Amino acid sequence: MKWFKSLSVAALAIALVSTSVSVAGAASDLKGKIVINGSSALLPLTLQAANEFKKLHPKVKISASAAGSITGPQSVRKGIADIGAVDWDASQDVPGFKKFDGQVAHKVAIIPFAAVVNKNVKVDDLTTKQLQDIFSGKVTNWKDVGGEDADIIVVNRAFGSGTRVNFQMKALQGTEFISKGSNYKEVKSSGDMKTAVETTPNAIGYIDLVYVTSNMKALKINKIAPTEANVVNGTYKVWGYGYYMTKGKPDGATKAFIEYIQSAKFQNGSLKKLKFIPISALK
Amino acid sequence: MQLDTSARPSIAGPNASELGGSIKAGSGKSFDRKNRLLFYNRFFKLACIASAVFVCLILFGILFLMFRTGVLTFRDVSPMTFFFSTDWTPEDDRYGAFVFIFGTFALTLLTLLISVPLSVVIAVFLAEVAPTWLRNLLRPVLDLLVGIPSVVYGFLGLTILIPLLRDITGTNMGDGILAAAIVLTIMVLPTISRVSDDAISAVPRKYRDASYALGATRFQTIFKVTIPAARSGILYGVILGMARAIGETMAVVMVIGNTPQLADALFKPTSVLTSNIVMQIANVPFDSTWNNALYMMGFLLLVISLLMIVLVRLLQRKGAHS
Amino acid sequence: MKNATGAARSPFSSGRGINSLNNRLFTAFVWSASAAMVLFILALLYLILQKGLPTLTWDFILGLPSEIEEGGGIGPALFNSFYMLLISLFIAVPLGMAAGIYLAEFAPDNKLIGFVRICVEGLASVPSIIFGLFGIALFVEMFQIGLTILGGAVSLAFLNLPVMTRVTEESIRAVPGELKQASFALGATHLQTIRRVLVPSAINGLVTGICLIAGRAFGESAVIILTAGVTTSGEMWDFNLLSPGETLAVHLWYVQSEAIVPDAVSISDKAAAVLVFVILLFNVLFRIPLWIKERRSR
Repeated sequence: MKWFKSLSVAALAIALVSTSVSVAGAASDLKGKIVINGSSALLPLTLQAANEFKKLHPKVKISASAAGSITGPQSVRKGIADIGAVDWDASQDVPGFKKFDGQVAHKVAIIPFAAVVNKNVKVDDLTTKQLQDIFSGKVTNWKDVGGEDADIIVVNRAFGSGTRVNFQMKALQGTEFISKGSNYKEVKSSGDMKTAVETTPNAIGYIDLVYVTSNMKALKINKIAPTEANVVNGTYKVWGYGYYMTKGKPDGATKAFIEYIQSAKFQNGSLKKLKFIPISALK
Repeated sequence: MQLDTSARPSIAGPNASELGGSIKAGSGKSFDRKNRLLFYNRFFKLACIASAVFVCLILFGILFLMFRTGVLTFRDVSPMTFFFSTDWTPEDDRYGAFVFIFGTFALTLLTLLISVPLSVVIAVFLAEVAPTWLRNLLRPVLDLLVGIPSVVYGFLGLTILIPLLRDITGTNMGDGILAAAIVLTIMVLPTISRVSDDAISAVPRKYRDASYALGATRFQTIFKVTIPAARSGILYGVILGMARAIGETMAVVMVIGNTPQLADALFKPTSVLTSNIVMQIANVPFDSTWNNALYMMGFLLLVISLLMIVLVRLLQRKGAHS
Repeated sequence: MKNATGAARSPFSSGRGINSLNNRLFTAFVWSASAAMVLFILALLYLILQKGLPTLTWDFILGLPSEIEEGGGIGPALFNSFYMLLISLFIAVPLGMAAGIYLAEFAPDNKLIGFVRICVEGLASVPSIIFGLFGIALFVEMFQIGLTILGGAVSLAFLNLPVMTRVTEESIRAVPGELKQASFALGATHLQTIRRVLVPSAINGLVTGICLIAGRAFGESAVIILTAGVTTSGEMWDFNLLSPGETLAVHLWYVQSEAIVPDAVSISDKAAAVLVFVILLFNVLFRIPLWIKERRSR
């Protein structure tokens, strides 16, 4: 036990020294703890903002995680989180979801979504009709949409995902998803979706553009590529607003954080770099 | 107590006239000491009783809480629907948990089907066949395997087993109850085989001697005499393994696919009670039917595991009688 | 005559032949099956260690996790693992030992105590996820402190309490009665007997038990996900009990199936290796002295 004691004392000392150094470095007095939960589509943005924000205000602790949009306002209601990230305006009724009373929505970004396939799939381009057929289970083989003879593995986000809501409304135009079958899988978060599509041959899924890596392929929809430019010029329709929900009007560190993420500096800087689109780009 | 011993020599110092005083002081102290010891004893006993009561309180707290929250499910969902409907669509208020209940039982059964024969073979090997040095080496190793975290097994399943299954069987995904059952088998194997090993080792030597004396071979002795004699011990191990298989969460979550559909094929993403609870509990508001339904599923798990303990107790009693 | 003896002998000898063949086959089968299984499991463990350990660096072990870029570490998660482990042991060991001593030493032999024993055994077999649900109901819903290290550690302690109780009871019971009687005969009180005679004699079983629950607490994930969350406070050496408390086991799952970092595979390989290594270390550190002690006392 003695070694642990001395270790922890040393640790404390290190922690004290390092905080005092960083306090001396930055002149911010803002203190507090911000817990963020919710949409995994917004997670990269939140984390990037948190990193930059922590440099400005070293005394603020931010911890962010994601488990699907509905978790965001739900956690805010339960008091687990200060900010709930969600891909729809949860302060109002939307199809499928009741509004969360007493919560305030803050628009933070525009999120483009893309249909993605495993790298082994030869198809590059699908029409809305073909997407509808695939995700509703009418077409089950890649050869029917111009690919090789192989079963289509449909990976879907579980209910409560904002990506799912946006994709269903805007890419599938409201078509119901299939919900059963041995070539069908539901995943909980964007990270889960990424892993599933990357590692499962012949898989198709959908995810926000930020997550598209070199290990998967984003499809063109009706011959239009999912790029920021196409969203801004209005040709690519599959996108949605990302919101931060708070219990009532935010204050203290939470307020400062939301203001930071909405600031022109962040919106036109890091946010753009991450392939999100500033709110101001679309009016 | 230490104070007493250190104080005594100084009192019983060189001065003889103080000797009587020292006896007096000593006796007074020892009277104090007796009281103090009695007090400590009583206090300690009380603390022990309180701890035992506390352990029981936790169980009742859990039972009460799970039941109280779980039973609210039936305000909105009929028990028939909850237990026998396969339609789990909480967003449309359809709460049929049969998929998960069936999944849990199917998974446990499949796990036992694979793991019990293997474990018994290993137990026989440890108890009867292996040379002593190997036995002394393997037993600690198996004990150690019991302690490997379940996520590690899940991680192995996800990164090694599933691609392997995909290659071997040519299925598209590989997720499903077969993958989960194989992972669980690796997890419960050490448990079942060590308990069975102990049970087989505990069979009195004279049984075996008698069997050999009758001219039976080792094979016959083991199958006709030793294993039947160790039956209740082996069963105990199987039930322990079963309890672990039913309650295991994260290793299963990583390989089963987490999709609420009936597990009617070996390769088909499905879900069991534990995986469904851990995947959805964060998404649900308190006081919603969805939340209550998840607690009801937890209560079911609780009841199943407690029933198994009662079963073990009955087995032990039966074993003691015979 | 010759024929007759042949006929008479043949069933006997052939039966014997089959038996001995069976016996040999059986022995070979048991050997190979066991060897295959054990080697298979050991190969898996070796694979984990071999994939992760060679590339381990202190930067990774003590580094802060990253969510987007490459090169994140596991520092806070590893710290939380040990921190929560210590807090949970701090609660579970004294309480569990006291309850175990009560059952072994003080408890009268009646139906009520039999029932208490069933309760302890029942609690020991309750699936860990139930403790997670209990933790949510207690800490998130009732006390409203959210997902914290405190909630996770207490839930872990609850999970381990019955195991500690059972182990203590069994090891104290296993101490020979003569030792206890000798102590009483010397005029020792019950408490003194327990402290000076029973516990030291049962130390082997107790340490094995503590080692068991420490390993379980270190590797547990379902309880932590539900009660302490899947995030850390993002700093090293955060002793605040109300910080979110993701542990290494949870981090392994999180990185493998949820995270978006490009080097998720290598992080999870290394995290798994660290996890297994620490568990092995627990066993080696705690059990080897006991083995040596046992050897000596023989």
